[in-house]
Amino acid sequence: MTKPNIQIDDEVREMTDEEYAELIASGWKETTDETPSSD
Amino acid sequence: MAVKTFTSATLSSSDTNTYLANAGLVFVKAQTVGTAVSTVTVSDAFSSTYDDYRIIYSNGTASSTCDIRLQLGTANSSYYGMLIYGNYAAATVSGANTNAGTLFPHCGGADSNYCIMAVDLFSPNLARGTLISTLTNLSGVNFGLFAGRQATATQFTAFTISPSSGTLTGGQITVYGVRKS
Repeated sequence: MTKPNIQIDDEVREMTDEEYAELIASGWKETTDETPSSD
Repeated sequence: MAVKTFTSATLSSSDTNTYLANAGLVFVKAQTVGTAVSTVTVSDAFSSTYDDYRIIYSNGTASSTCDIRLQLGTANSSYYGMLIYGNYAAATVSGANTNAGTLFPHCGGADSNYCIMAVDLFSPNLARGTLISTLTNLSGVNFGLFAGRQATATQFTAFTISPSSGTLTGGQITVYGVRKS
């Protein structure tokens, strides 16, 4: 599975497994939800 | 610098340079956003030179309708805040709280046609809590104000923005410092 890209300053690369896990843990989703939710 | 009243139709180079050097917001750095990225980290944004900052992200697009979120340094805890918002289709005000969150979740919005984030950050590089305030268009259809605090005494130098879903492409993140004197 291809993971999302991460950008650090001018460097763009695919996320590592650990970075992807942190992104998911932050509540990031692949699909759109237009209702603001509590965090 | 004291306010000066000009009496001549021509500004001297000295006056012009003085006023340019003493603007209220001072450019710190800019970062062009790449293609289809889900997080963008801007390093060396905050320092002891300024206490408070304005960060603007515009002219980009998103792969889907989303909120734009902001994380300070690598801190992924102790974010608190409140979003007050309304949907343009109804005259109703709603709210959403952030209680011990992992980031500031409501800092801007984007979809395939627009992208906007304009936040004021207070004391991110001081050894005290960092406060944030935004006035923005969230998820395309919601308009609101988010105010919050990251409640640690960490002295941050970097921040990361990310969409709540999908990816961001293009545009520029610009960081300004608020001149102290």
